[in-house]
Amino acid sequence: MAEQEQRTASGIPLPAAASPGDVAPGLEARLGRPGEFPYTRGIHPGMYRTRPWTFRQLAGFATAADTNKRYRMLLDRGATGINGVFDYPSLRAVGSDDPRAASDVGRGGVAVDVTDDFDDLFAGIPLDRVSVSLVSSQPVGAAPHLAMFLTAAERRGFDRRGLAGTSQNDFLMETAITIAPEALPPAASFRVECDVAEFCVRELPRWNPISVTGYNYREAGADAPLELALTLAHGRAAARELIGRGLAPEAALRQISFFLDAHADFFEEIAKFRAARRMWATFVRDDLGVTDPAAQKFRFHVQTSGVTMTARLPHLNIARSAIQALAAVLGGTQSLHVDAYDEALSIPSEHAALVALHTQHVLLWETGVAGSADPLGGSYLVEHLTDAMEERAGALVDRIEGLGGLVAATEAAWVHTELSKRAFADQQALEDGRRLVVGINAGLDDPDDRAGLDGDVEVQPFALPPGALDAQRRRIDAARARRSEAAVSAALEELGSACADGVNVMPAVLAAVAADATVGEVGTVLRDSLGRWHFPLW
Amino acid sequence: MVASLVGRKAVVAKLGMDAHWRGVIVVAHALRDAGMEVVYLGHATPDQLVSAVVQEDPALVGLSSLSGNHLQECGAVVAGLREAAVDGVPVVVGGTIPPSDEPALAEMGISGVFGSGTPLRTIIDRIAALLDA
Repeated sequence: MAEQEQRTASGIPLPAAASPGDVAPGLEARLGRPGEFPYTRGIHPGMYRTRPWTFRQLAGFATAADTNKRYRMLLDRGATGINGVFDYPSLRAVGSDDPRAASDVGRGGVAVDVTDDFDDLFAGIPLDRVSVSLVSSQPVGAAPHLAMFLTAAERRGFDRRGLAGTSQNDFLMETAITIAPEALPPAASFRVECDVAEFCVRELPRWNPISVTGYNYREAGADAPLELALTLAHGRAAARELIGRGLAPEAALRQISFFLDAHADFFEEIAKFRAARRMWATFVRDDLGVTDPAAQKFRFHVQTSGVTMTARLPHLNIARSAIQALAAVLGGTQSLHVDAYDEALSIPSEHAALVALHTQHVLLWETGVAGSADPLGGSYLVEHLTDAMEERAGALVDRIEGLGGLVAATEAAWVHTELSKRAFADQQALEDGRRLVVGINAGLDDPDDRAGLDGDVEVQPFALPPGALDAQRRRIDAARARRSEAAVSAALEELGSACADGVNVMPAVLAAVAADATVGEVGTVLRDSLGRWHFPLW
Repeated sequence: MVASLVGRKAVVAKLGMDAHWRGVIVVAHALRDAGMEVVYLGHATPDQLVSAVVQEDPALVGLSSLSGNHLQECGAVVAGLREAAVDGVPVVVGGTIPPSDEPALAEMGISGVFGSGTPLRTIIDRIAALLDA
């Protein structure tokens, strides 16, 4: 009987046993050494011996004071960076006092409305020593969040040039991934993204102003090659735009960082991380003509995959996350978040968050996997898959460039269509059993038995601390009571003019924040001035 | 195609400010493949949703929430429909909904809850049973 053909999750045929013949000639040149072009084997010569990856666990819920406690708990227990996520209204720069926001204030992240919230959020945290990732996914929110973070940090006496961190600030998050009642149009969102980035390259040399995202596209339905292609196509667009604005390519490129998923298919994911570094370095050198090594290095954060977590048999998620995190480490990530086992039920409980954090410690301290750079380099299978990933993602990048680049492809609904098509196909593979997931269509005695949720293995969904909505309303009222309305109006008018005149919006956003404007007020001006866009999802 | 669903209309919407579309779009495709006419509203406030239901006269209202806002938003939708004297249109909700919230949702009048990991087949079967009843 013929052996059944097997493929990776994205459909790359797998050799039954990879052999030298599965690796194209010229491997040495495609690999280089760790820390050397094309960085397939990692961006540092010593990798984790010299720089362990950052333990950067995502956290955020309810008020800034509530979230600050969680940040500090994670740092006390061995996290080495902050990864702060904002609630649904704050991400979109909609005020907590907007009637549409009421049921989501403090959900999925922390509520921020005024600069005082950033005072509380980072109280007691040494911002000159701990790097901060602001998961301000959408440019409309990233601009005011960064302005408030900066204002609060400078009030505490920190020098802006010493602040280290990241803003996610990704136009595709705003226009294709996280739907909202109102979003900026793709070109406008991309412009704000690049305004923030340009400001950071000039003023905040240790800040990564765009975390070019693949993670969320993957979670929304992309397979590994499409995740990589969207990431690289976006990186290309941002790099060209920033250079086009007159920034030194070396300066702009060394501040762009990336954010990828660690999904279920172990070797394919490792291949994706390795291919990503090679493809980016090659683009920077050959297309942009930039030879500075720091500008060629694809620096990235990884999050394990939320969509692979199951609500039933939830403790299995600890195993899933650990295996995915291992792929990220073998793939050479700079920074890592491990998902919590209660991901499919609620935001992480304290217990689930700590299990996830300590999973990282197990990897670094107990398993020995971090002792040697790119430990799978030279594996016939991994090199074969790395080449295949490069080829497939490269073809998709060409396709996107052929559509006029990622902004145009988004406007034309190409991105939405590709993602939703794949999401539906993926679900169908689960439905008909071509794909097996324990807790969904395997490993259950009775598919209708809900045990494992409320049954013998109990996982209590995390209950949000109450009162976030009232607290935010009081915050906004307090800011409005103390500020000069004339000054706020003038600053917001100035912001509207900056939008209309095509000048960088960040100085005007900072001035508005200095006058105590709220996140929601800044967002409203951006939307009123730059337009509102309807998602072409259906 | 599912005989009892063919030609029936579903109004489908996201609640509050929740960001995730993957689930709702996949389910909307499945409803369409089963023969339903799907009116996807995207984000809708309870008021907007009630207006749409009055205008479209659907056989089913499908809601999606992954942000944890389901108790508040579903409550507001059900109350709005009652106030508008919309009668006999079952409302179902899917998403990241802890099973411990299911009794409260049933109590307020939600006819079906489809939590994480529910197969499409189960969703379609249960909706067909609801609309057959």
